[in-house]
Amino acid sequence: MSTPLLEAENVGICFGGLQALKGFNLSVKKGDLQGLIGPNGAGKTTAFNIITGVYSPTEGQVRVGGQEVTGRATWEINRMGLARTFQNIRLFKSLTALDNVKVACLNEEQPLFSRERAAAARAQGRRLTAHTMDAFANYADWWRALMRTRGFQADELRLTERAESLLEVMGLSHRRDELADSLPYGEQRRLEVARALGTSPKVLLLDEPAAGMNTREKADLMSLIRNIRDRFELGILLIEHDMKLVMGICEQITVLDHGQTIATGTPSAVRQAPEVIKAYLGSGELALDPVDAPQEAPRPEGAA
Amino acid sequence: MTPDASLSALPTRAGLSAWVPFLVILPILGGLELLTRGSPFLVYISLMVGVNVILAVSLNIVNGMTGQFSLGHAGFMAVGAYAAAKFSMAMDPWKIIGVAVAPSDQIIFLFSLLIGGAAAGLCGFLVGLPSLRLRGDYLAVVTLGFGEIIRVVAQNSDALGRALGLSGIPQRTTIFTVGFFVFLVILVAKRLADSPHGRSLVAIREDEVAASAMGINTTAYKVRAFVIASFFAGVAGGLFSHFQSVINPMTFNWVRSMEIVVMVVAGGLGSTTGSVVAAVSLTLLPEGLRTLFNSLNLNAGRIDQVRMPIYGLLLVVLMLVRPQGLFGTREAWDMWRKRKPTPAATEEGA
Amino acid sequence: MSVFLQHLINGLAQGTIYALVALGYTMVYGVLKLINFAHGDVMMVGAYLGYATAFQLAPAARSGSMGLLVILVVAAAGCALLGLLIERFAYRPLRDKPRLTSLITAIGISFALSYGFQLDFGFFPGAAPRAFPEIIELTPWFEFGGVILWNSQVLSFGIAILLMLGLQWLVFRTRTGRAMRAVSHDHRIAGLLGIPTDRIIGLTFAIGSALAAVAGILYAIKDISITPLMGLYVGLKAFVAAVIGGIGNVPGAVLGGLMLGLVEEFVVGYTASSWRDAVAFGFLIVVLLFKPEGLFGKNAAEKV
Repeated sequence: MSTPLLEAENVGICFGGLQALKGFNLSVKKGDLQGLIGPNGAGKTTAFNIITGVYSPTEGQVRVGGQEVTGRATWEINRMGLARTFQNIRLFKSLTALDNVKVACLNEEQPLFSRERAAAARAQGRRLTAHTMDAFANYADWWRALMRTRGFQADELRLTERAESLLEVMGLSHRRDELADSLPYGEQRRLEVARALGTSPKVLLLDEPAAGMNTREKADLMSLIRNIRDRFELGILLIEHDMKLVMGICEQITVLDHGQTIATGTPSAVRQAPEVIKAYLGSGELALDPVDAPQEAPRPEGAA
Repeated sequence: MTPDASLSALPTRAGLSAWVPFLVILPILGGLELLTRGSPFLVYISLMVGVNVILAVSLNIVNGMTGQFSLGHAGFMAVGAYAAAKFSMAMDPWKIIGVAVAPSDQIIFLFSLLIGGAAAGLCGFLVGLPSLRLRGDYLAVVTLGFGEIIRVVAQNSDALGRALGLSGIPQRTTIFTVGFFVFLVILVAKRLADSPHGRSLVAIREDEVAASAMGINTTAYKVRAFVIASFFAGVAGGLFSHFQSVINPMTFNWVRSMEIVVMVVAGGLGSTTGSVVAAVSLTLLPEGLRTLFNSLNLNAGRIDQVRMPIYGLLLVVLMLVRPQGLFGTREAWDMWRKRKPTPAATEEGA
Repeated sequence: MSVFLQHLINGLAQGTIYALVALGYTMVYGVLKLINFAHGDVMMVGAYLGYATAFQLAPAARSGSMGLLVILVVAAAGCALLGLLIERFAYRPLRDKPRLTSLITAIGISFALSYGFQLDFGFFPGAAPRAFPEIIELTPWFEFGGVILWNSQVLSFGIAILLMLGLQWLVFRTRTGRAMRAVSHDHRIAGLLGIPTDRIIGLTFAIGSALAAVAGILYAIKDISITPLMGLYVGLKAFVAAVIGGIGNVPGAVLGGLMLGLVEEFVVGYTASSWRDAVAFGFLIVVLLFKPEGLFGKNAAEKV
């Protein structure tokens, strides 16, 4: 696993005259658990939006699995193995929790062209082939759905089982048939994670997954995130406001302020960086003790 | 979580059950055809109702399920109407060898309907590909514009009879054919809704950015929904032209599109059941009023005048009182299904 | 050359009318983000009000320029009231509902007005076209080498320019204008800041409707015949003009209107008048495909 799953190189973006992000570098490998922190308006979510293709960067490159993705559509980048959650929860409100996850669960077996073949073509840069395969597979799939073939029914069953297992991982089994809109706030956030996992990502981007939760819930969520990383063999990049939490869980942290990367490194290194202290408090010391688990030793590469 | 018992039972009865609806509906339609033989008025009304149901249910796939507000459905209906009519008129002297005249005509008619649908579907693809990148109001106006352009093109084409339109189109539409396509469009809408693709369409309606982030190629899905809707609009147009026998471009102007939109909205955006109910009642309403006026010795000609203003006020009142339409996004079959408790529901109740 | 000049003049004359109606669309869209589909029909009502007033003033003869002023004022006042009523009863109750509901209501009002006026009982005028009375004597104001500039065209330029300058002054130089711009930015926050949102929105509708009434009378003077359905297409085209100019943008609406008038006049002038209805939409589609925010509009990216 020497090639990083996700790389950002010198990425920058301007909105009008405002340089919202500048010289942003990042590299996420399998098994990583990285944090992206910074004060409000530092450009964290902007970085996420650029990585996932919502915005096009004005400079720099983003690579997923070694492939340049700058300028590609969000859905295509997702298919290449990048899934995300949203800061301001964006669930499919009128669908049930189960259906929310099922929407994301890609149908692996297709009669004409499998997702894998399309993905392989896409990874080699043969985008037109990949699009064509997708289109044909999709039309064939629609036909199967309309004809209610045996294969379709089996697929549907498999999707349901997979979505159910993801709900179970996120502790949402009891909400299976409830509308996403009616779930409590914390569970909506967890449902977003379950939905993102449905797309079988290699890298998961979590945008403030613990926002609005109390300390206890946050601690639970963080151990859950670590669990997910190990179980699904992911690289995870997360934005979080609560410094204690980030420090406690992440092995590598990037700190943004006013669009600039002001520090990057291990939690202990970041904690001592004067720029970080200045950005957060102006001066003084930070009470940044890990909240739950002790600091983990750096993980050997590829370990899961 | 235990697997849902009702779901695991599905694959075993899959292959055959897909065809059961057809086996049920065909004899019923045949029976209706025979029963209505003697009453041309009833037949006429049923055909009008059927065509409107096809239009409303198909438009609901785009406007309701996918949440893309199209105002150009009549344009695609026009494409289908003209294409099917031209084909039928060209094929009129020809018969299939070894088949009696009536069935041979019906077979050719079926082909012209499919050609009408395909032509409309193709137009839907060509129109949808560029315009479905636009959102909301802009999409509404652009589809309206495309619908109007289609009409104006027909108005300026010698082959399509210019403003006078086409006349002498063979009258082939029967209760059976209309009924069959009504059944087909409802079946397609229902099965689509209960499939991963339908869920993806709803996901696009709910949140396009999130849908895209979940790997759904939103533009492609929207275009496909648009193509399916246009196909059925084209078929409806073909059915329409083959019982009116005369069509002209103004039949398919944007006011007609609006009428279909009214039906979909009144029924509840996203509910196939609602579209059907609204299409049936809004088509029958003027007829009912006509009968009422006649029995009261009033000028029944007023009905057609009063119809559109009433549609307009109905829309306003409906939005103020019940913005989600009659059915919201619910379906008749869901209500039936809900009565059976699922294992998950009982678990939770315990 | 003279043909070209004549088309230029006619196109501009038509364009000013589109521009006046487009202003109403753009103002309402600016404050409410709503396509007021009924706006074209308000214009139609204005034309009919003018028609009725003209007959009251001078049933047999021309009313003259003083009469024209009275007619314009009566029609403008009547339509302003109509606009207020529509806003109060059809749009205000839905202001916080999804925008689609207001759009549908607008379509409903449009239908009710345009087809309601076709009824042939009560005070409704009926479906048949009416000849608009010749309020002022039509004479060529200027004639050179076969190119005629009619006095009605001069009149409509004059009135339109006057009104547009007035509007520009109102929006950018007065307190009320500042309140309007604040409401258009975000009507909820404007309300929190003590701006009487309801009154401002009502005022916007009143002004837009009054402009439409004037446009309706100018259109009727130019076109002579008026029908209950005239608002549907003129309104639609004026809306197209507003979108081309970048909806929500006041000068953009004027420029869009003039451009649309010219393009339509030239295309129709050099082909056939039966293509008239397609020109506006063709133009719109071309503009939107290349510049989705309109020629002079701001690009409002969705916040993620």
